[in-house]
Amino acid sequence: MEKPKPAGYFEGESMTRRGAFTLGGQAVGGLAGVALVLPLVGFAVAPILDTPEERWEKVGNVDDFDADVYRPVITTIRSGIGEAGKTTVYVRQGSIDLEEDPNTFVAVSTRCAHLGCPVRFVRAAGIFSCPCHGGAYDFEGKVIGGPPVRPLDRFQTRVVDGQVEVGPRYSVTGDLEPVRARDPGEFTGGIWEYLYPPRPSTPPAPPS
Amino acid sequence: MDAGQKEEYLREYEVLKKKGKPFFPYAVAKDSVMFLVVVVVIAVMSIILGAEQGPKADPTTTTYTPRPEWYFFFLFELLRVLKPAALTPLATIGIPTMALVLLLLLPFYDRNPERDPRRRPVATTAGIMVIIAMALLTFLGAEAGAPTEIEMDVAPQYEDGKVAVAGQGCLTCHKIGENGGDLGPELTDIGSKLPAAGIRRTLINPSGIMPPYSALPPDKLDSMVEFLASLR
Amino acid sequence: MAKFPDTLIPPPLRKPAKPGQNGHRNGNGASPNGDSEEKSVVVEKLKEAPVDLVGWVDERTGASPFLTGMLLRKVPKGTNWFYTLGSATMFAFIVQALTGVFLAMYYTPSPVEAYASITNITNDVFMGEFVRGLHKWGSSVMIILIFLHMGRVFFFGAYKYPRELNWVIGVVLIVLTLVMGLTGYLLPFDQRSYWATIVAMNINGTGPIVGPYLADFLRAGAEFESTTLSRFYALHMLLVPGAIIALIGAHLYLVVKLGTTAPPWVRGDTKPKSLRKEKVG
Repeated sequence: MEKPKPAGYFEGESMTRRGAFTLGGQAVGGLAGVALVLPLVGFAVAPILDTPEERWEKVGNVDDFDADVYRPVITTIRSGIGEAGKTTVYVRQGSIDLEEDPNTFVAVSTRCAHLGCPVRFVRAAGIFSCPCHGGAYDFEGKVIGGPPVRPLDRFQTRVVDGQVEVGPRYSVTGDLEPVRARDPGEFTGGIWEYLYPPRPSTPPAPPS
Repeated sequence: MDAGQKEEYLREYEVLKKKGKPFFPYAVAKDSVMFLVVVVVIAVMSIILGAEQGPKADPTTTTYTPRPEWYFFFLFELLRVLKPAALTPLATIGIPTMALVLLLLLPFYDRNPERDPRRRPVATTAGIMVIIAMALLTFLGAEAGAPTEIEMDVAPQYEDGKVAVAGQGCLTCHKIGENGGDLGPELTDIGSKLPAAGIRRTLINPSGIMPPYSALPPDKLDSMVEFLASLR
Repeated sequence: MAKFPDTLIPPPLRKPAKPGQNGHRNGNGASPNGDSEEKSVVVEKLKEAPVDLVGWVDERTGASPFLTGMLLRKVPKGTNWFYTLGSATMFAFIVQALTGVFLAMYYTPSPVEAYASITNITNDVFMGEFVRGLHKWGSSVMIILIFLHMGRVFFFGAYKYPRELNWVIGVVLIVLTLVMGLTGYLLPFDQRSYWATIVAMNINGTGPIVGPYLADFLRAGAEFESTTLSRFYALHMLLVPGAIIALIGAHLYLVVKLGTTAPPWVRGDTKPKSLRKEKVG
């Protein structure tokens, strides 16, 4: 037994009044929902897509740094938040023994490549040591033991008017090739460049 | 559980419910007592243990040893014991996610209608083992010493040597007592394994990846050798 | 029949009694039996006033059947003290929520000023250190209680039919509680807070493909940014407690609807023992 046709039915009717209102109500409600949620989600997600401005900070004279030991300097990486925006950077002159140009400088981050704890440079042993889970890095920042997944991050450096300046952060592969900055715990190089993709929130990597 | 077992359970449950007591006031009374106990315990902890403020957050430090809150110690200890770098994502994401999925889907793969723990040996054993594992990891995480201090007590003449050894990064690779890593051999009783002269030779001309300590001032080196030789 | 109690209405506004009902209310005359009787009637009415008031509210909300259903339901035979762990967890959450609200009145969620506002609370505000201590130790107590409650439910097999959904909601609640611990932990902004949070966010980043973006989302950028603390504050104060309260509501609804289980070693005799033996063959 077919359902009785609603009142006002005519041949060729494609949509009942009820159907029209149902669809219309859902469409308008959906539109309102989207109009509310999308800007909010965008608002919350925007920092992922925002590339911060490149900062260069002076850290000392060219003569202040040697090639065989690191000197810790404090530099600002985010302005406007006081102490919370600063970090310690270990700076040294390029070492001839390591086939680096003595006119360039190497700035190594104190952020452990395992999970981000602050590493310290042990002068007597010439190694970096992480207090959290026992990571150890050699003089160049390469991993010699423990759970870190890649060498220590570096900061770009340049010399302006006899002053050494420290610039944006970049990460390195196991062979110290520069790549775009990654978070601690992320492998670099090879297929890992795709599994841990570069993000717009980080500054572009320097040329190798 | 098939339909027959479900029905049987529901029937038994109805019987037990009929024989039970009303929620108010009997269960509510027990709940109220627990409420009081909880509030009193928290207040007593607050008064006795206090809420001292630590030093201000300093992202530029190189001497601080980060530690999580005690209820994350088990994860922290898991990250410490999984030394190979390749296992890091396993410890950070793999294991916790797997554990969470197993926990979440528990009622769906535990098909046994039996509820008495004495008659569910697999579930009860698994549960007890998980509890023991988490308790053990939490305890180990709490005990994990900072890698720049040697916590063992030594005779006063070896204090200088102990401080020197702790400050020279030896604990990065070597374990002495409760503190240190295991990249190199443990030194807790190195004094009984190597004579003092052997210790000195190793410090000045080490093998493998150990960096040499020949550049240290001689009195510092002497105190370190004395301390290490005393470790039996 | 509930009506607004007479004793709460000022005398000039009271409706006079119908003729023939209460003799001493007719007209303005004195009572036929003297004032003492009028007083005793007033006292009687006063005693009934609370009941009348409740009846008045009940007639307009329909709350009575719900409350009697919830409060006077039977809990099964054998319910013991283990069953108080769930409500104890909720009470710990209430302690946290209340102390949290009052702490929020003095806290400033800015990386520059957060530490100073906590110093202010601890040293200068009346009972500040005590309230801060309640909130700090309350979080540990809540986590202990919630794990004990989960353990009790697991060992009693109370997650099986028909309570599977309740278990799932409970696991989500545990995760949200740990998230509360994590986000709240950054707010005092001392050394331990800062570094524990940095490591926690980097742990998120180790997940393949999605991880780096998730870490960026939590941190509001690639490094610790000016809005990171505010983000954690919003999560800790608004989003996660809202979710927890909603899920506690669902959890409690299911508990009342399905009932709590009896301890598994308490059996009800649905059939005589001999029949059970026959079933084994």
